[in-house]
Amino acid sequence: MSELNTVREINGSSSAKAYRHHAVAPPVDVFENADELLIVADVPGVRADGIDLRFENDTLTLEAKRQPGGDESPALAREYDEVDFATRFRIPAGIDTAAITAETKNGTLVVRLPKAAAAKARKITVR
Amino acid sequence: MLTGWRDFDDTLRVLDVLQRRLDRAFDPWSGPALAGQRAPRRARAAWPPTNVFETKEAFVVKAEVPGLAESDVAVSVEDETLVIRGERKTDVPDGYTVHLRERAPIAFTRKLPLPARVDVEAVGASLNDGVLTVTLPKAKESLPRQIAVKAR
Repeated sequence: MSELNTVREINGSSSAKAYRHHAVAPPVDVFENADELLIVADVPGVRADGIDLRFENDTLTLEAKRQPGGDESPALAREYDEVDFATRFRIPAGIDTAAITAETKNGTLVVRLPKAAAAKARKITVR
Repeated sequence: MLTGWRDFDDTLRVLDVLQRRLDRAFDPWSGPALAGQRAPRRARAAWPPTNVFETKEAFVVKAEVPGLAESDVAVSVEDETLVIRGERKTDVPDGYTVHLRERAPIAFTRKLPLPARVDVEAVGASLNDGVLTVTLPKAKESLPRQIAVKAR
């Protein structure tokens, strides 16, 4: 079950370096329950201090930069480039934006957006 | 510079879908991920994405395994092949509905034949921020050696 193809990058990593300024959208799961919206993003190689998470005008912006270095070329095999991550979400009304929290663990970012009390589903009694 | 928009009201979904299709065009892991469907179809390429580097003294293998802790991955060297086994779980939390699902659970075994003999006792692996780094020092007999050319 040979997985490894030996690839020699004769010209070094000039194309890879140019590509590295590009940022890709990370794979993301988005969940919701009665109390919050939950966003989970795969950002391998990123530490908490490399993450810039901002909320402005109904938009949640995520930019995540990898730890620099550690990408010594040439490579015998290369299946991924160490690109940075960036993406944006439009957040619906009804979120308590001051209470948004985020934590990062093992290269995964978890963002919790609690719903404002007024937006939670409420049963209305009819007299 | 385009980045992906996710609009829960679906108004700007067209722009987002286009950007994400471009991002995913060369990404072998992706598949359609719509709310309410099952996990995306099986990846066309092996997971995790892995890079292999060679220095004078060692081979360095780096694999992207976001979400994995040390207990989720097992690294071993068998018959001059590096074997990385593990499981990446991405459960839907209880009681939540799904709007978007792009991170599929996956159990994996990757076998990478090594180009030269390595000192198995000295192989080290570390897992930081979802990146697994395995350093395999070359065996002494694999190290580059100058061969003296004697003139007759």
